[in-house]
Parts: sequence; structure tokens; C-alpha cells
Amino acid sequence: MKIVPLLLVVMLWQAASMSGLLPAAVLPSFFAVVVALLSLVKSGQIFPHTAASFLRAGTGLLIGTVCGTAVGLAMARFRPVQRAVEPILLSIYPVPKPALIPLFMVWLGIGDLSKITVIALSCLVPVMVSAFNGARSVDEILLWSARARGTTEYRLWWRVVLPAALPQVATGVRAAIAIALIVMVSSEFISAEHGLGYLIFTYGGVGADNAMMAVVLYLTAIGFLIDRAYVAGLRRLMAWHAFAH
Amino acid sequence: MHSRTETIAPFLQHTLPIGALLLCWELVARTGLVNPYVFPPVSAIVIRLFGLFGNGAVYVPLESTVWRAVVGLCAAIVVGAPLGLLMGRARWAQWFFEPLFSFFFPLPKIALVPLYVHLFGLFSFSKVMLIFTDCLFPIVIFTYHGARGVSPTYLWSAQARGTGRVRMFWRVVLPLSLASLYDGIQVAVVVAILVAVVSEMVAGGSGLGHAMMLAFRYGDVRSAFAFLVTISLVGFLLYKAVQLLRDRLLFWHVAES
Repeated sequence: MKIVPLLLVVMLWQAASMSGLLPAAVLPSFFAVVVALLSLVKSGQIFPHTAASFLRAGTGLLIGTVCGTAVGLAMARFRPVQRAVEPILLSIYPVPKPALIPLFMVWLGIGDLSKITVIALSCLVPVMVSAFNGARSVDEILLWSARARGTTEYRLWWRVVLPAALPQVATGVRAAIAIALIVMVSSEFISAEHGLGYLIFTYGGVGADNAMMAVVLYLTAIGFLIDRAYVAGLRRLMAWHAFAH
Repeated sequence: MHSRTETIAPFLQHTLPIGALLLCWELVARTGLVNPYVFPPVSAIVIRLFGLFGNGAVYVPLESTVWRAVVGLCAAIVVGAPLGLLMGRARWAQWFFEPLFSFFFPLPKIALVPLYVHLFGLFSFSKVMLIFTDCLFPIVIFTYHGARGVSPTYLWSAQARGTGRVRMFWRVVLPLSLASLYDGIQVAVVVAILVAVVSEMVAGGSGLGHAMMLAFRYGDVRSAFAFLVTISLVGFLLYKAVQLLRDRLLFWHVAES
């Protein structure tokens, strides 16, 4: 049922193209875009670019998530860490992260390293904030009862604080996924030799509108699938959490 | 004495870590361990920042960026708020628009830059349109959830008094959704500046993003840093302004509708 409005829009687009209301010079027809996408997929041309893009985004996201969770939890449990990190966090919060791309290119070169660093840094912030909020809202009773049973501090972290903060961390990671895609595409626009952003920019630059739209469509579908898969996977993994309280 | 320490202590607590970080930066840059050309000391960046404001080089790009961001954001509010309200209260609108918005939500809208340049030209219009598109999402989604969450009690009591559909929309649904709409606007302000800067970095045209890119291309890392600081300040100030305006505009609003 939910697909019907999408199909309607696609049909409207195709009808406008076929009737001549929407000339191909303005926007290629939907079928032309699909044909271009199929040829990109069939020739296998698009896959190395997909791999290059998602390797960057995935690595950055992973680093950002791990570091962000660790620092966020540490901030919530240790006052000095919070005092040291919070002001710095607040001051880098308003920086539009893609604006850091050229800076890191000057520092780390124009290869993958600078892109991954900026992606990791951009993902770090939302994960850190959500892990901090999650860990701070841990029920004190859980901590007391664990301590009363003689749980060591180390175990407490793994078995109580982290699991209790996980749902909030998960929401932060969802935001981080969206941000990773934004920074990935922007960095590939600015300078790259591979990647979906590079493909879109190059096809757009040479006027290959069908192919450009095909890659945009492909990226939309992948972004949508990633988001859906993440939410569905989360729902399965977090099923236990409803019973924890 | 007591009150004085109370005001100074939190201020120190906040500035101390940042101050320490900047001091480390300055010292590392001064020792010559790193190339001062690509990693300039903080003091040099601050001097350049004042220089850019002093000689006026920053004002034209600043104006372009802010102007585009504000126009795009306002257009998104004008279109997005009614659309979100409609989606929240009318079944057919929800049926049609909700899947579209949830499908295109995860797409990084910045990927549309080449398409928008193709459709709307190289200059400000394509950038404003991109800002509009990107800001539309938070505004529509927040307003939609706000309008959908209006407590039926209010609707019933208004209906019982014989309120018509149009009046109901204006006098009940809209005021009760304003807080959500404003949440959406607060998210959208950040998005507007981000998209303005990135589209300028990618597609050129005057603006802070473009000015920063140019500075990098000329190897003038100090100016580039100064522009980066300006961009962050603009983003921060716009966000703060919108936040302050909230207390003015929504002071009457019930905290939980």
C-alpha cells in the first residue's frame, strides 16, 4: 500500500516526459533513468564505486561509533571527563562537519584517510551525546543492586551501564548513519577518483543526465534500505530491552 | 563573595578545557614540530580573523551565505508547515505524502547539487532550492507528528461547541502544533547553514563556503581557518537566535499539549 504514492509520482514523471511537458533536456524520463541504471549495473561499472563509497562511510561510522560510545559513557560516569570534554564538544557542535573536509585534506592528504577521519569525527558527535544521555539515565537501583552482589566496576560497565545505554546509543547511530552518507557524498564531490559522489558529480559535469539521475536513484534506494535494515535489525536485537524495566 | 565565586566558577569550568586545548595547539604550532604553513598557530588564525573583519573581506560572502540560508529556510517553513498540518489531519494527504517523505529522508540531499545546478542554474537560485528541499524534511516531519498528536479531547470539546472545520484548523490544530513546528525549525536552521556552505564549496558562487575553498586552493590555511570559524559562528548565532525567539513567540504555549 505504501508503494502506491511512489508509483503514482513515477507514473506522473513518465507521463510528463512522454507528453513533452518535461523535455529530456530538463529532466530525463523515468524509463531512460532506469535503462541507464540497468546498464551501469549490468556492466558492473557501478560496483567498485559503491564499494569505495561504503568502505569510507562504514569505516568512519565504525570508528565514530566506538569512540563516541566510549567517550560518552566515560563522560556520564566520571565527572572530570565530563568537565574536560563537554565544553569542547559544545564548541565543535555548531561546526558544519563537511566544511572540515578541505582542512583534513590539507593535513592528511586527499586520499581515503582524510575522508574517513572527517566521517568518523562527524559521526562521533551524535553518538557521544546519545551515549552520554543514555548512560546518565541508568537507573541507580540497577547499579546499587549490582554492586550489592559484589559486581566489579569493570563488569558493571559491561553488564549494566552499556546495555542500559544501548537504546539511546542506537538512536544516535541512526543519526550518524545519515550524517556519514552526507559527508561521504560531499567529500567525494570535493575530491575523489572513485565513489558514488564522484560518479554523480562527473556525470552531472559532462551532461550525462540519465546516468547522473541513475546514480542518484541508486543512492536513494541504498540509503533507504540501509535505514530500514538498521531499524528492523534494531527491533530484533532490542527486543529484550522492553523486559529489562 | 559567595555569589561571585558562584558566577565565576562555572565560567572557568567551561573555558578552561577549551583554553588548555588552544594553548596546546599554539605551543605545538610554535615549536616547529609541524609545518606552520598547514597547521598555523591559534594566534595567527585569530589575527587573520580580525583582519578579515577589519578589511571587510568577510562581509560579502557572509551576506550571501546567510541570505541564501534564510530565504531557503523561510520558503521551507511557508510550504512545509501547511503540508505537515495537512498530513497530520487529512487521511489522503498522509496516505500520499508520508511514504514519499520517508523514502527520500535517508538520501543525502547534497547529492542533488549537480541535478539542481542543471535544473535551476549555477547561481543562487539552485542553492536556495537545495536549502529549501533539505529543510522541508525536518519541518514537514515535525509538524506532521505534532498535528497528529493533538489530543482528541481538544478536538471534541471544540466540535461540541459547533466549531467548523476551517476554524478548527486555525484555532485548535495550528496553535497546538506550533511547538512541534518550532522543533522542526530549530533542526532546519542547522541544516540550512550546512547545505548553504557545502553547496557553495561544491558549486562555487560567492559565499563563505566558496571563500574557504578558495583560501585552501591558494594554500592560505590561515584565512581558510578564519572562514571556518566564521561559518561556525554564523551557525551558532543563527541557532541561538531561533532558540531565543522561541521563548518570545511560544511563551504562551502549554508545555505539553
